[in-house]
Amino acid sequence: MEYNDDGSSSQGKKNYQSSFQRSCGEENSNYKHSGYEPLPSHVQLDDGNSAMRDAHKDLQIRHTPTTTQGNNRRVKLNNEDRIYITVSRERTFQKRKVEDRPVWKDRTTPKREMEENGQDETSSDWFKITVPCGRKYDKTWLLNSIQSHCSVPFTPVDFHYVRKHAIFFVQDTGTASALRAINYKICDEENKKIRIFVRHSIVPHSVQNKLRPEQMKQLKRTMNKRYDFSQQSLDLQSFRFDPDLVDHDIDMILNQRNCMAATLKIIEENFPEMLSLNLCSNRLYNLDGLSDIIQKALKLKILNLSNNKLNSTWELEKIKGLKLEELRLQGNPLCNNFSDHSSYVSAIRNCFPKLLCLDGQQLLQPVTVKNETPDKMKSCQESYIVSDALKNLILQFLQQYYWVYDHGDRHGLLGAYHDEACFSLTIPFNPKNPALSSLDKYSKYSRNMKKCKDPVLLVRLLKHANNDIVDFLNVLPKTQHDLNTFLVDMCSQTEKMVCFSVSGLFKEVEGVCNDRIRAFTRIFITTPVGNSGLHIMNDQLFVREASPKETQSAFSTPVSTPSSSSVYTLSQEQQEMVQAFSTQSGMNLEWSLKCLEENEWNYTRAGHVFTTFKAEGKIPEEAFKQSP
Amino acid sequence: MAESPMWEHIGTSFVHLYYHHFDADRAQLSTLYSDASRLSWEGEQLQGKAAIMGKLMNIPFHKVQRFITSQDHQPAPDNRILSMVVGKVKVNGEPLMEFHQAFVLKNMNDKWICTNDIFRVALPHFG
Repeated sequence: MEYNDDGSSSQGKKNYQSSFQRSCGEENSNYKHSGYEPLPSHVQLDDGNSAMRDAHKDLQIRHTPTTTQGNNRRVKLNNEDRIYITVSRERTFQKRKVEDRPVWKDRTTPKREMEENGQDETSSDWFKITVPCGRKYDKTWLLNSIQSHCSVPFTPVDFHYVRKHAIFFVQDTGTASALRAINYKICDEENKKIRIFVRHSIVPHSVQNKLRPEQMKQLKRTMNKRYDFSQQSLDLQSFRFDPDLVDHDIDMILNQRNCMAATLKIIEENFPEMLSLNLCSNRLYNLDGLSDIIQKALKLKILNLSNNKLNSTWELEKIKGLKLEELRLQGNPLCNNFSDHSSYVSAIRNCFPKLLCLDGQQLLQPVTVKNETPDKMKSCQESYIVSDALKNLILQFLQQYYWVYDHGDRHGLLGAYHDEACFSLTIPFNPKNPALSSLDKYSKYSRNMKKCKDPVLLVRLLKHANNDIVDFLNVLPKTQHDLNTFLVDMCSQTEKMVCFSVSGLFKEVEGVCNDRIRAFTRIFITTPVGNSGLHIMNDQLFVREASPKETQSAFSTPVSTPSSSSVYTLSQEQQEMVQAFSTQSGMNLEWSLKCLEENEWNYTRAGHVFTTFKAEGKIPEEAFKQSP
Repeated sequence: MAESPMWEHIGTSFVHLYYHHFDADRAQLSTLYSDASRLSWEGEQLQGKAAIMGKLMNIPFHKVQRFITSQDHQPAPDNRILSMVVGKVKVNGEPLMEFHQAFVLKNMNDKWICTNDIFRVALPHFG
């Protein structure tokens, strides 16, 4: 199929493109560097923008093989040199922002490295596969679906996105035909057919510009110097300017697919245990190339992408498969896309739910539980049979929630609530007895009084956003809940929603109503987070006076607590220490608190004491029992 | 506040309709559930319209007197509505008992359907 024309059939092309654009609802305002060779400003390519199309003709250009000589790095690009690149119908090359060009201008020589020994990859037929609107599909799902429908196994090369389309390359005519045949055969989740366009193409960049074996050897040596085996961390900050590489004329522009691919290959072969990778200051525009790292560095937990040129969180979605615990993004344009810090943090956490630290700041974690059987949680997602694992998860969640609620600064619950959680409190208000002074502490925070159809007035407050919620919770009277009175009803768990109700009794432990027993009902809608945590989306609380019978039965079962755990306020830091100690030691929260108290909140010392006592068998069994 | 939010309208209307059907013609409750609905009735888990209706038609409530003490509605994720009803019931001449019921409502084909329902009578069985 002939696609290179000199503009003579531009009319036809215009129609094709505009219908193409219409069908995908393209926006053409977001220009991103596609990771291909940067072009000097005077070489303009038609980028699909109709205004531009009128101004510039499509240029037909082909690659010129240039042999590189060691000293000849500084080839300047000017009109005479005529860089030839073939352009296909899809606009793969996009205009780079002019202001970003300067530094690279002198050194942009397209190197065409030919394989001198062995098979010449550049000679066999290459095809470009385009999946229009492929951006909306998860990369792994898309490739797996295509592979499962395709009669010929294929290896996608240089997978990347251009605007809304997903593009990759395959070698060999047989593969191309097989892929052509599955156009319109695959259905996505919305039951729409996925289109697959197959076109002849030039050799993909990373293959054509593959590093020579001796360059790979040097690259490996340089990377070895930058690898810290004790920390399993690789520092590729400002990699391009590494003196070793410069001396050997290796231009590691990580934006270029071939360079990134070579780097990843060396990581895969030599540093499979890599935990931490620093890619700071490499002018990265997109992470298409980096996304291949997911299968190669399975242990990667720490990633530094600061001071690059990432424009949007869309780039991060490409590496969503990484289970990152620490990430640095400061100094990227995308950081300025958010109106405030917490929406920035939320957006990043959406991509990487297990993230513990962002830009050097520790993130608050949702109330998590020690779940011994995390796999069980997954299996009960679709079933309506409430499994024991789910029951345990909810009970442990409640235990931790009420522990913080009763013992300390309720701001410690901030991490338990989703950013956009909703909370409301209702109390009964009997018009016959308006001086319901015992619930006065609750009723005075009324925001609106609503008359409803029943002849009962409701006092209600509705709080949005986790900060408001915990601020408000902190204002409510201090409590002690009797967990033995808790009745939990679960209803529904799906992948996204775990809904349950709790009712029980609690005691007010301050002020005028000290020791007064109240009854409550609370409905939670939560969403699972990570493996074993719940994030609260909705929290509806109802509080009333307890009946005489209920009052009698409250706190009738002695809870096995050590004598020192009187109810006093713990700081947030102390709460976190207790929770961490409990997780690490296996003891329940009460006993962890006792151990830390007795060791003056010296965590390390408490740890030593615990280990010693445990070895001597001095710790009673009840210390490890979680209350029901 | 001049107007109450949408979820309060819908929640209030739903609750009103629910109890109206419950008392007047319980079979009509089937219009408020779908096959994806789930009910937890006093701890018993039921799924699907058929199972839920089976339970509701057969509970031994004949004469029910209900007093709603409190209603609350919140917007929930996925464009749903969470409604909580708390009150007292007097059933079959037995003494007054506290009850609470929670509904999660979802708009399906322009109708508001209950996808999740939790009902519990608060019997003092603590300890």
